[in-house]
Amino acid sequence: MYVSLSHYRNLLSTYLRPQRSQVMLLAILLFSSIGLQLVNPQIVRTFIDTTQRGGPERTLLLAAGLFVAIALLQRGLALAAVYVSENVGWSATNALRADLTLHCLQLDMPFHKEHTPGELIERIDGDVTSLANFFSQLIVQVLGNGLLILGILLLLLREDWRVGIGLSVYTLVTFLLLRAVQNVAVARWAASRQASAEHYGFLEERISGTEDIRGNGGEPYVMHRLYRLMGTLLQAERSARLVSNITYISTNFLFVIGYALGLGLGAYLYTQGQVSIGTAYLVVFYIGMLSAPLESIRTQVQDLQQATASIGRVDRLLRMAPAVQERLHVALPNGPLGAAFENVTFGYDGGEPVLQNVSFALHPGRVLGLLGRSGSGKTTLTRLLFRLYDPAVGTIRLGGVDIRDVSLDDLRGRVGMVTQDVQLFHASIRDNLTFFNRRVTDDQIIAVLRELGLWVWVESLPAGLDTELGAGGQGLSAGEAQLLAFARVFLKHPGLVILDEASSRLDPASEQLLEQAVNRLMGGDGGSESRPTGIIIAHRLQTVLRADAIMILEGGRVLEYGSREALLRDPNSHFNRLLQTGLEEVFV
Amino acid sequence: MSTVSKPTHIRTWPFNWAIVRYRPWPIIVFSVFHIVFLAGRVVPGLIEKSVFDTMTGAAPVALGLWSLIALYVSFELARFSASFGEIWGDVTFRYSVGALLQRNIVASILRKPGAVAPPVSSGEAVSRFRDDVGEVADFPLWTPHVIGEVLGSAIAIAIMARINLFITLVIFVPLVASVIASRMAWGRLQRYRHASRVATDRVTGFMGELFGAVQAIKVANAERDVVAHFRTLNDARRRATLKDRLFGELLQSINGTAVTFGIGVTLLLAGRAMSAGTFTVGDFALFVYYLWFTAELPGTIGAFIGDYKQQEVAIERLEELVQPEPANVLVQQAPIYADGLLPAVPVPEKHAEDRLERLHVSGLTYRFPGTDNGIKNVDLSLTRGSFTVVTGRIGSGKTTLLRTLLGLLPRDGGIITWNGVAVDDAATFFVPPRSSYTPQVPRLFSEPLRDNILMGLPEQRVDLPGALRLGVLEQDVTVLERGLETVVGPRGVRLSGGQVQRAAAVRMFVRDPELLVFDDLSSALDVETERSLWERLEERRAASTMGAGGAMDGGTVTTPTCLAVSHRRAALRRADQIVVLKHGRVDAVGTLDELLPVNHELQRLWRGDVGDARQVGTPGTDELATPSFA
Repeated sequence: MYVSLSHYRNLLSTYLRPQRSQVMLLAILLFSSIGLQLVNPQIVRTFIDTTQRGGPERTLLLAAGLFVAIALLQRGLALAAVYVSENVGWSATNALRADLTLHCLQLDMPFHKEHTPGELIERIDGDVTSLANFFSQLIVQVLGNGLLILGILLLLLREDWRVGIGLSVYTLVTFLLLRAVQNVAVARWAASRQASAEHYGFLEERISGTEDIRGNGGEPYVMHRLYRLMGTLLQAERSARLVSNITYISTNFLFVIGYALGLGLGAYLYTQGQVSIGTAYLVVFYIGMLSAPLESIRTQVQDLQQATASIGRVDRLLRMAPAVQERLHVALPNGPLGAAFENVTFGYDGGEPVLQNVSFALHPGRVLGLLGRSGSGKTTLTRLLFRLYDPAVGTIRLGGVDIRDVSLDDLRGRVGMVTQDVQLFHASIRDNLTFFNRRVTDDQIIAVLRELGLWVWVESLPAGLDTELGAGGQGLSAGEAQLLAFARVFLKHPGLVILDEASSRLDPASEQLLEQAVNRLMGGDGGSESRPTGIIIAHRLQTVLRADAIMILEGGRVLEYGSREALLRDPNSHFNRLLQTGLEEVFV
Repeated sequence: MSTVSKPTHIRTWPFNWAIVRYRPWPIIVFSVFHIVFLAGRVVPGLIEKSVFDTMTGAAPVALGLWSLIALYVSFELARFSASFGEIWGDVTFRYSVGALLQRNIVASILRKPGAVAPPVSSGEAVSRFRDDVGEVADFPLWTPHVIGEVLGSAIAIAIMARINLFITLVIFVPLVASVIASRMAWGRLQRYRHASRVATDRVTGFMGELFGAVQAIKVANAERDVVAHFRTLNDARRRATLKDRLFGELLQSINGTAVTFGIGVTLLLAGRAMSAGTFTVGDFALFVYYLWFTAELPGTIGAFIGDYKQQEVAIERLEELVQPEPANVLVQQAPIYADGLLPAVPVPEKHAEDRLERLHVSGLTYRFPGTDNGIKNVDLSLTRGSFTVVTGRIGSGKTTLLRTLLGLLPRDGGIITWNGVAVDDAATFFVPPRSSYTPQVPRLFSEPLRDNILMGLPEQRVDLPGALRLGVLEQDVTVLERGLETVVGPRGVRLSGGQVQRAAAVRMFVRDPELLVFDDLSSALDVETERSLWERLEERRAASTMGAGGAMDGGTVTTPTCLAVSHRRAALRRADQIVVLKHGRVDAVGTLDELLPVNHELQRLWRGDVGDARQVGTPGTDELATPSFA
């Protein structure tokens, strides 16, 4: 995949600019620690030569002290550099993670139908994690280690031009050879990873399928397959390790050659009387130092290849744009919102229409009871009201405004929905109610909970509002979860409420609380002026009787629509027939 | 029947001894090569010393400079080449022992009642299979590593002490202290590591929740607020990870600091001796060289002790997977066939005593642990060739009855007899050729359809086409692009719910058992398909009772006795016997004609044709709603 230079630059500048001072600090730390690494061999040389010359002991002690001081300082700097670079890397990648997550959340529902949460986690967290090194290390490491190598070579050149040239050639050749052998085992590693993925996939499936296996006497077969997979895994892993050992051996052997070269050169120059014994040792010492930065640059180059793949994937994700776009920002009127569909036709992904030519108008403050078999388009109709999708044909109005002209914030802030399937987070009750909106005060929450008759329950919990809910709402009954969903909607003070009524059997106590909640939400007792408009997907007779108007959908078309009273009066209405058969018989 | 036994524990050393004994050769090969490799590190230092001493004339010329350098290169080449043997031993040991542990755990899981929920989720079990097995198989390899390092260091220190005892002592006494320091710090490092893992789990867990609740978030207009929370979790992860990394780095630099300190001390103390010529430049080079690897020892020992503790935890986590069986099941010796020479899967042979004449169940009871739900005192009698349908409302205990009978749940009471002989271990008894079972939600595995059906049976010895026809799957197979070779499951072709269920039925038919047990085929089959399935089964039963079946497909065909859970009219009508369950007890037994006029439960089920598996919104349920809407 081709990723242009400007991509790297853009990413770096976007996510590193806010941390400019940290990045500068990192550069200073790295460069000074590299500089210090170059100094110490010089001290050792002075030391050795002084001893051989019989120089003053004061010089020796000074050299020893200086050596320890510089070495400790260098370690401290290196440690600080690790800290700062990790911090820079994590801050940058966290920002990228948050941006990507927000971006994905804002993408349309069709996107989320195609990509499972697991896949998105892998794409966001997995890919971004492999970029951490790119942000925090790549440039400084390559630059820093490059400078270190250059420094060593220059210092060697200063000692003797033949040594300098010889080792420059050695460095270059070594680097190229290392690059050449680094990929010898790639195919085998891929085979080994594949074997491992198959093996663990096999295990996962069989462990969750023990009933089928035992009930049909399949154990010997499962064991047979297991032996085969484990055998394959052993062979694949062993051959991958043995082949990649070639890389390891060549790397180390090149360093051995370098070291031998250093020993030989040092010895030769010394015996020729061209350098002191201290200098000969210095040459050997410096050459020993060459291996680490060479290895480090090689891994950085390798990492860059992985990072490039990740950058490409991240970039592709960022380039996706939602189909639902805001075009104007007309404000919705205050108070209850009337809802109107005008000849709306819609099909998912432009396919078979799920809604066909649906029209109706619901006055502000009135309640519509929506009936129909599963698959008749009830849920789809409610989704369109939130602009989770845009209709192919027709217009939807809220409070008289085409919802495509309203900002999504305004639209979704004014319409509330309670679904059967309540999504709860592994977080406190407060955060679950407010969706992590910190601007909602506890007083507001408590008021709503009191109104719903839930406060007694929440108060009785060990940590009250701070009580953590388990993942997926563990430990809550279906009824309690539904009540929390009601509380969420109450907190919004919506102008339109959509209620997908739970048809599952709830225990009588929760059922009663829910009934009260619906009453309060829909103002069922009297019809105050401020009560929101309501659309209820009804499963129970009681709910239907609360509605002002009734709409029956079938196959995406409006089969019947009218005021409840009028439909009741008409002995031939579908509605009447339904009431006789019993709703549950039809819609469950 | 369920025996409650106290979980047993196997201690770390016996555990390790058992796995080493299982594959002694690989670990011996590894040890020899690895110890030689590590201890061999003293040699280059000696050569370097000789080079410098030869140069300065401090020592008599033994070999000559160039010979020394050639010696150095060839020695190192030999030493590094030894790593091939080391790797062979390492991987062979690790993966053979890992295979044994995995084999033993899988076998143990398959010995448990098949429908009892495992102690951990399958995802968690897989992570234990990978990480904990890896952890315990790794530990025995540490011992040779530590031995090699200790040996190498001991030789190095002895050489250094012979050169200059005083300097050697001053260098190494503080190193002992650093062993203790790094050991103490190790516990803290584990804590930091754990904290950072927890913080990471919270981040990925929250992402999973976010993307699982996209619609709710959009509807609540909460995208920005949830991402703000995501940022705080991210930040907590950054802090935890930084702490972990910094501390780890600090520990590592203890090593480097010890070297620095050692070189510094050598410089301080050796200065005068070097000037006096009693400590040569070669000695100095040797000290510096040896310091680099002897300083690794404290870290290694610290990590070794830590790993020992970690292994204890890993063993415990593996023990949980085999409970209630004793822990030593884990390390039982068994072949793993690593060479690929596998024995054939045994084919169950049908013997005369397997022929089902009469299956009788009395007082069968199972209670779900900690509740009052389950089945109580169920009596049931099946005769050869009969068709029995168990029916009842949701939660009346139909599935539990089948599972308890088959031993997929451990029964709490009751007697099962097969032709009058008591069946003690139902789970091992109710398997082909005696019985076969299709669960309510059958599972197929990610492999070709053929393998899913045959599960190792040799195709030439069974009647696969007949079974396909019986299961009403023969049409589907011709439509599939690769027929029976089609790989099904998440990584292959997605079969419809009905196809999965029929494939599972075929899997059952192909084993030609005496007793066929179905749990509610109707949950995914349309009325038409289910009807033809019952029809074909009936034809077959009729044919084989008349004695003509034997000639039909050229094989012997059993008169199948059927036990099925169903609420469909097609099944109820055909039943020789209907067992109505209510609250876990038998409400009535009889034929449809006998029961329909008198039994209220059956009337209700018959009238509404409403059983279970009719959840709102599940695809494919619309067709079941009998009253027409329009």
